[in-house]
Amino acid sequence: MARHITFVKKIKADGELCAKCQQVSQQLESAGLLAKIDRIVIADERDPETEGMRLAAQHSVTYAPFFIVREDDGQERIYTIYLKFLKEVLQQTVSKEAENRAISQDLDFL
Amino acid sequence: MSADSGQIKAWAESHVDADPQAILEIAVQNFPKLALSFSGAEDVVLVDMLSKIDPNFSVFCLDTGRLAPQTYAFLERVREHYHVELDILFPDNAAVEQLVKTKGLFSFYQDGHQECCAIRKVEPLRRKLQQLDAWITGQRQDQSANTRAALPVMQEDGLFSTASQRLIKFNPLSHWTSAQVWQYIRDNDVPYNELHEQGFISIGCEPCTRAVLPNQAEREGRWWWEEAAHKECGLHASHHGIKPR
Repeated sequence: MARHITFVKKIKADGELCAKCQQVSQQLESAGLLAKIDRIVIADERDPETEGMRLAAQHSVTYAPFFIVREDDGQERIYTIYLKFLKEVLQQTVSKEAENRAISQDLDFL
Repeated sequence: MSADSGQIKAWAESHVDADPQAILEIAVQNFPKLALSFSGAEDVVLVDMLSKIDPNFSVFCLDTGRLAPQTYAFLERVREHYHVELDILFPDNAAVEQLVKTKGLFSFYQDGHQECCAIRKVEPLRRKLQQLDAWITGQRQDQSANTRAALPVMQEDGLFSTASQRLIKFNPLSHWTSAQVWQYIRDNDVPYNELHEQGFISIGCEPCTRAVLPNQAEREGRWWWEEAAHKECGLHASHHGIKPR
């Protein structure tokens, strides 16, 4: 079984695609990396039955966008930080400073 | 000893309503390279609980250089009260000097907090976590309906784990409310940061933290000038009745 990557994008309660998800999509496309994504799934905040919302609940994810990477051995890894995903999964060069800035969004408890 | 992802998930599911002390017991018994992250706020209850479970527990704090004087005083009180060695972590001085030299002391009000936090918090935290198998945080679901509603009692740390280092994060207070935390503080005579008496709930760096009014969400006291942008990334699964498994 080959590595499989799922990209989960959010549609907000007002029906609009979230700006961050849009930005990440565009960046993947312009970098020629969209082909490395096997599936794009929508998490529609208006409908808990959408696959993306179910995946978010299943993996206790509360941020969007996020990526689910299933490795050859079946192990799954969740990435809520896009730059970390870029670096570790797509092997792109990402500065430590940029990655740290992205991580800081989730450290409001410190 | 350690535990694989399946074991962590199984423990998280079987301990979803467990006492924080039961979660801490699992952490202490299974992860020798374990440390508690103490922010100088309500998470002091974990210092109290852990001190009763493992007298040799390890605790660290991030000194960003911008904490409030009351927080510094509180850290010292905790050190003396619990006779614990606080591992105080500092940012890389060259990085701080460069930031302040080029952008001044308050660049976060214009450029957002991420750049400053990356230097003063994330980098030293990352350095510390590289030495550990697991860490303990005071994160709670009720701190943010926007981003934390599905927070489990323990999880593989998606932010700081790397291909070569799997890190587990314990959130023993995950399902506790702020009211339960304060009941514990009162019942056990736990020392607390005096900023709480002035309307502060969540306490971070002094320039980035403010008191909140009654019934305001506690996260409204942090980085309030960029609140709208923050809300964008939350996924509101719990608002629609989905429970994390």
